[in-house]
Amino acid sequence: MTDDTTTGDREAPEKTPVADGSGIVAPDDETPTWRERKQRHVGLARLTYEYFERARREDQDLRTESDYVERDVLAFPTWPHETVRNLSIATFFVGMIIFLSATLPPHIGDPANPSSTPAIILPDWYLYWSFGLLKLNPLNPELAVLGGQKIMADRTYGVLANVVVVSIIAVVPFLNKGAARRPVEQPFWAAVGVFGVVFAFTISLLSVKNIIPMNVDLLFDLTFLAPVVTGMITYAVLKTMREGYMYDLNRRYYRLRPPK
Amino acid sequence: MADEFVKGLGILTGAGLMWMVLAGWYRTPSFGSTEQLVAPLTVDTANATLLNLVAITLMDVFFWLALLGPLTFWVLIPAGRQARKAVEERRS
Repeated sequence: MTDDTTTGDREAPEKTPVADGSGIVAPDDETPTWRERKQRHVGLARLTYEYFERARREDQDLRTESDYVERDVLAFPTWPHETVRNLSIATFFVGMIIFLSATLPPHIGDPANPSSTPAIILPDWYLYWSFGLLKLNPLNPELAVLGGQKIMADRTYGVLANVVVVSIIAVVPFLNKGAARRPVEQPFWAAVGVFGVVFAFTISLLSVKNIIPMNVDLLFDLTFLAPVVTGMITYAVLKTMREGYMYDLNRRYYRLRPPK
Repeated sequence: MADEFVKGLGILTGAGLMWMVLAGWYRTPSFGSTEQLVAPLTVDTANATLLNLVAITLMDVFFWLALLGPLTFWVLIPAGRQARKAVEERRS
């Protein structure tokens, strides 16, 4: 630290205040040591001010040097940026629809006969999971105390299964508030999510077991085994990935959240 | 790396789309059946027209392109680069 800079620092309050940090910030090769800073008998506030002023000055220099054009806009303008982008996306999907409808015209069957029930009745595809839950007949327990009788009809059992599944789904947000930003942070709940997705898929396959080219008993077993297995694999993989991410060391970093 | 991924993805989706269309023409007896896109040929190759023969050939070409293209860009080329890097590191 040269005497000149020290004098300049002491005189700074008397002169007109300069905000660019020129009188305060030491050149890079003359950065004062901690001992020198302490010898100046200036308070912590002054030290903090110098630190921030230096950082601000470096930032200012970088901005002056770079050719980056700063704009005080928060997004791209609607015209032409957003419009052209949206037009290209819309054109792509309209083109795909036209292409598929031209090359793969759907088979149009006979008009429905309202006086006869079709052999296979199916809901829309997004309700297959619920329809699959109605086909849990083998899981309906036959109680010995009732002399091998079932405690409730299969259809009642299927409806109750719907209630149970929907209840579980409704409870999950209260058990885990979704604070994790990435699956590595909470492997267990990521595994629960994978279990749910796979189970929704397999139970949907079970609902259309009539047209699945597969042994029905095997399909029934796989419906419940596959979600558990994939969930366990997910848990194991994410637990292993944690070590690769050095999760325990970087815990603070992975907990970082953008300001609200 | 991202480049190789999008190349493989583009080949997979593009060739897969063309294979799906052609298999919908030649390997799908009915859209209500349980065997779609993989059923035996619905056209007799012995006395098929030239256009049908070309399309049937292209169907297999697209099928294997959709399988081998991503395999090449996602597995073989990165593996080859890794192997080359390992060899160079060992030599130096």
